[in-house]
Amino acid sequence: MPDRTAAHAAPGRARTVRSMLAGAKDVSPIILGIVPFGLVAGAAVVEAGFGLIEAVGMSLLVNAGASQIAATALFAEGAPLWIAIGTALVINARMLIYAASFAPVVVPHTSRRGRVLLGHPLVDQSYAVTMTRGRFRTDVDVVPYYVGSWLILASLWQVSNIVGALAGSFVPPEWSLDFTVPLVFLAMLVPALKRRTDVEVALVTAFAAALLVPTLPMQTGLLAAIAAGMGWGALRHHEAGAEAVAGRE
Amino acid sequence: MNEVAGFWAVIVVLAAGTFLMRSIPLWLHGRSFMPPWVDRFLRYVPAAALTALVVPGSLYVRADGDYEFAPVRVVAACIALLIAVRTKSVMATMLGGMAVLWVGQAFVG
Repeated sequence: MPDRTAAHAAPGRARTVRSMLAGAKDVSPIILGIVPFGLVAGAAVVEAGFGLIEAVGMSLLVNAGASQIAATALFAEGAPLWIAIGTALVINARMLIYAASFAPVVVPHTSRRGRVLLGHPLVDQSYAVTMTRGRFRTDVDVVPYYVGSWLILASLWQVSNIVGALAGSFVPPEWSLDFTVPLVFLAMLVPALKRRTDVEVALVTAFAAALLVPTLPMQTGLLAAIAAGMGWGALRHHEAGAEAVAGRE
Repeated sequence: MNEVAGFWAVIVVLAAGTFLMRSIPLWLHGRSFMPPWVDRFLRYVPAAALTALVVPGSLYVRADGDYEFAPVRVVAACIALLIAVRTKSVMATMLGGMAVLWVGQAFVG
């Protein structure tokens, strides 16, 4: 059966390309959401007094939008560097959880050398599409699928960053473009409130932020508010776990 | 340190830290390295972090380093929240919120 042999011998490159395209295609319905987000991130860098090189460099190296906007805004407000970095790192700490649940899906299909860079393409959308669709598809390889989904995301992210940086420098301050930052995060927050405890965490964080951000020194209020929200969540989680155990007894 | 060098320092350190947080669980796959209580905290990072990024900019404007309460922003943010719940669209939320802010600023000043 020559056909079968050919299909079997072909896998290598053809299958890799096909898998990457499949990842790009599967992620496409959710990528338009990153355009306004990227525009805001690019504009924020310009508003902070920097240029296109900083906007592009930051996106390529950091590759995590929310933390980029937070770090840029804190820096522009004159926060100490360690506060800007620390707050942004706490925002990205969710990557630890993503990566831990992602490891059994991709690591067995990666060489020891490939594993070094395997984490960099891990963003909210590439994680979501690989975990919910890619890993169940038998017609593609999961690692190129994941990388392919990220490549299209990263390209669109980069373009929208550049457009945001270019356009941002022409927008007069009376337009209050800085208000787009809370608006974008608001739109992302709503779908993140899946459980009752998430809503409680959001409320605790909101009160803490309203109180602490204007009062604590050195722009540490943001970090303190996030810590308060996470602390509340961990506490409630603990109680819920204890109740479940008690209920079984 | 000048501004540009300082900003690049933020970029490089943030990039390195984020890369490590994404990579270490993949590098150490198969070995448990995270105590369960850490997981309990990290679970709530998205809700807490996103809220913290929404609230100050929806309540206050910065004027010479001071935080001034801005009622127009509060109204605009509340309407944007309704739009976000109804449409789940980032673009609609952003355009709606900005439109309310501009109208409000035109009237209130």
